[in-house]
Amino acid sequence: MSTAVAGTSTRRIVIAVTALFVLAPILLITYQSFLTAPFFDPKAQLSLWAYEFVFREPDFWRALGTTAMLAVGMTAISVPLGALLAFLMTRTDMPGRNVLEPLLLVPIFLSPLVLAFGYVVTIGPVGFVTVWWKQYLGNPVWDIYSFSSLVVIAGLTHAPHVYLYASSALRSLPGDLEEAARVTGAKPGRVAMDVSLPMITPALLFSGVLIFFLGFEVFGLPLILGDPQGLLVLSTYLYKLTNKLGVPSYQLMAVVVMVIIAVALPLVFVQRLLLRTAQRFIAVRGKAVRTNLVALRAWRWPAFLLIAGWFAGTVMLPMMGLVLRSFVSSWGLGINLIDVLTLDNYIELFDDSEVVSAIINTLAIATIGGALSIGCYTVIALAQHRWTSAWVRFADYIVMLPRAMPGIVAGLAIFWVFLFTKPLAPLRTTLFAVWVAYTLVWLAYGLRLVQSALLQVAPELEEAARVTGAGLGRAMRDVTIPLIKHGMLAAWLLILLIFVREYSTAVYLLGPGTEVIGSLVVSRWGGGAIDIVTCLSCINVALISLGLLVALRLGVKLHG
Amino acid sequence: MISAYSISGTLQRAAFAAVAGFMAFGVQIQSLPAQSLPAGYPADYQTLVDAAKKEGTVTVYATTDAKAAAPLIKDFEALYGIKIEYNDLNSTELYNRLIAESAAGTGTADISWSSAPDLQIKLAADGLALAYASPEIPLLPKWAVMENMAYGTTYEPMAIIYNKSQVPAEDVPQSHKDLAKLLATKAAAYKGKITAYDPERSGVGFLMMNRDVKADPASWDLFKAMGAADIKVYTSAGAMIEKVGSGEHSIAYNIFASYGLLSIKKNPNLVMVWPKDYTLIATRVAFIPSKAKHPAAGKLFLDYLLSKRGQSIIAKGELFSIRGDVEGKETAKAVDDLLGDKARPIPVSRELLETLEQSKRLEFLNQWQAAIKK
Repeated sequence: MSTAVAGTSTRRIVIAVTALFVLAPILLITYQSFLTAPFFDPKAQLSLWAYEFVFREPDFWRALGTTAMLAVGMTAISVPLGALLAFLMTRTDMPGRNVLEPLLLVPIFLSPLVLAFGYVVTIGPVGFVTVWWKQYLGNPVWDIYSFSSLVVIAGLTHAPHVYLYASSALRSLPGDLEEAARVTGAKPGRVAMDVSLPMITPALLFSGVLIFFLGFEVFGLPLILGDPQGLLVLSTYLYKLTNKLGVPSYQLMAVVVMVIIAVALPLVFVQRLLLRTAQRFIAVRGKAVRTNLVALRAWRWPAFLLIAGWFAGTVMLPMMGLVLRSFVSSWGLGINLIDVLTLDNYIELFDDSEVVSAIINTLAIATIGGALSIGCYTVIALAQHRWTSAWVRFADYIVMLPRAMPGIVAGLAIFWVFLFTKPLAPLRTTLFAVWVAYTLVWLAYGLRLVQSALLQVAPELEEAARVTGAGLGRAMRDVTIPLIKHGMLAAWLLILLIFVREYSTAVYLLGPGTEVIGSLVVSRWGGGAIDIVTCLSCINVALISLGLLVALRLGVKLHG
Repeated sequence: MISAYSISGTLQRAAFAAVAGFMAFGVQIQSLPAQSLPAGYPADYQTLVDAAKKEGTVTVYATTDAKAAAPLIKDFEALYGIKIEYNDLNSTELYNRLIAESAAGTGTADISWSSAPDLQIKLAADGLALAYASPEIPLLPKWAVMENMAYGTTYEPMAIIYNKSQVPAEDVPQSHKDLAKLLATKAAAYKGKITAYDPERSGVGFLMMNRDVKADPASWDLFKAMGAADIKVYTSAGAMIEKVGSGEHSIAYNIFASYGLLSIKKNPNLVMVWPKDYTLIATRVAFIPSKAKHPAAGKLFLDYLLSKRGQSIIAKGELFSIRGDVEGKETAKAVDDLLGDKARPIPVSRELLETLEQSKRLEFLNQWQAAIKK
């Protein structure tokens, strides 16, 4: 049927516009990497100097190695864990699923910067859990500043990303195959491994590749946890490069981005190869089947405890530290916490007019901006949908590119694009610029969410519509989009949370009127106002948890 | 003759116009609060005030927290009725924004006010600062003004901060020498307990260590002792103070006294020492960008920042006034009374450009690496 692709000119326009937005900052960075000075400096000359400089640095190679190990390690932890969480939550009769569901998402909207700091307060060398442990159990068996701690924490906190992909894919699968397996005597673990999870291989592959990329971009965790030992990953190495020469050297930063892109492109190629077989996984057919849950029996409570334990370690532990820190003036050795309890930090916080507008802006950009972004992602996904063409291959490659830039570089590049493109210049100091930056940086991510949903839709439904005379637009509007609307809703919620949490991208666009919580946290952290940072983060988490709970209560279904 | 007459007539008319203008001027002055023009300002300063008012706003890019700057903003707005758009950035972001906006020709901030003096001086030296001789110059120290472009605005000692629950009284270092001795003699007890800015990752850290070596070449011995005690280096003062406060580390080296004061207030275990052998004095440097959108308002704010009125607010806000005629605890006067001739201000001068020269910088960093190697 692929010959019957219609609307190719519209598809081409959509992909071309996407490419324009994506490539503008990327080409700028690429050009920058071959210069001797900032691209806008008249003294700048073409040269390979920046590449020579970076490749001669032992620190660069160390950082590259560490980053690769981190990315592999965290993918190895979060993909199986996320898949397991998804299976338990969607396909089994595990107790407490309704309570756990919103909680599972919490790590996604915790900024890694504050999460890491929370860990320092609880299980750092003088954290209160550590002190308690020393008192009763002897020397702690962990070192929060070690590389393995970083990998484990990164892996645990990224599992919900996988969970979201995997669970939305699982939910759109009929349960008859699992039921058949169960009836013929397969144990729950066997059902998961041999039936459910293989069926969602595309979603797992997508999420695996994305987690691997996020590994190259992780910044907040290594910034805090790697600081005392001087542990460098590429994103913190960028920081070091900035100061090594005294003045920010964009050409050096650009070279590091080029390296990350060089890693990214082959991965997209591998991913495309793996997904050529995606046809095999089409599961949403034109017939509705009620899903029966897999009975866990004796495994019910152990499964529950597993998730609860993961949640305690990933969320409760750092959050406890964070909440505690927000209510005290000081903490640690020689301090009785009762003596230092205070509300001053919060009182101070609400004295701050910047904070109030940051909260409002963040909510606006997350809800309205998030919805608009999902709209854009859906248009792009539909433009590629059921179309075998060089254009689609091209689009697959370019959408990954913005994610190859660490947030802070992406922010800087977008700042440049807005600044040096005359028609865009007036928009630079508005929230619109922040929205563009966010939409671009999370393009790969959001697009994959929508595509994951689209992959599950069988072609015959759309074909039926086309055969009965509907145009391509009509078929998409009346068949495809209604079929993926749950996927879109879930994607919107996820993007909303991501936008709330996003912190480094908007730093260069920060100004009166464009404050968002994330960039404010970064700027206040730099200024040493740790009380403000912790309070702001606690409020951030509280607000979203509340919003999420209300939404679920009101019947907004995360999944179909 | 005729021409002479006409000249004197022109002069007469000019004089008349001047008087009329002055009268009009006088009326305007009366309409302002009496304290708006400090003593010693030139008579035509009012034209600058008027031009600034016409511009209506002044955009400030600053590394000083918006909260710390709030009293200054409020007072300035009340005084002149000119709105301040305050952008709170870190010194790298400030630098990046300023050079990009200057190059793009879209106009940039009206004041750049940063705690990274080396970057500020680089910007000024690169032609991104407007030359403007503030009427406050006679009241500022000579080292704090660079070529009528860049001005030092504060007088902040670089302190040692320690946690008294972790450092017994007899160990407390009162000078750089003490600290070096303590770390050398009790290296085991203070292993992993001393912390400082990482000169490789922090521009401020680099500058301060560089100035340490200038003030006393024996600083290399101190750095060696730090290395032997397994020093932990950070990128932000906030993280260092937090961890000295919690007891994870015991002593933080080269911390701005303005940060120190804030943290001491919140945590009674923290104590600040200004080293007795010498104390580096840092200053936040301000200038008007040459591509400022509102240069008149920028000039007005710069003068205000340096004025006795502005500096008194700076002193109250614990940022340490640079003027000798401002009273209070957080002032240059109080600091000098305590330190005598041991204050070592970091000059606002082209001398700092040297620290940004690539080969010299990398050489210093190599020396640093060698010094802290165990």
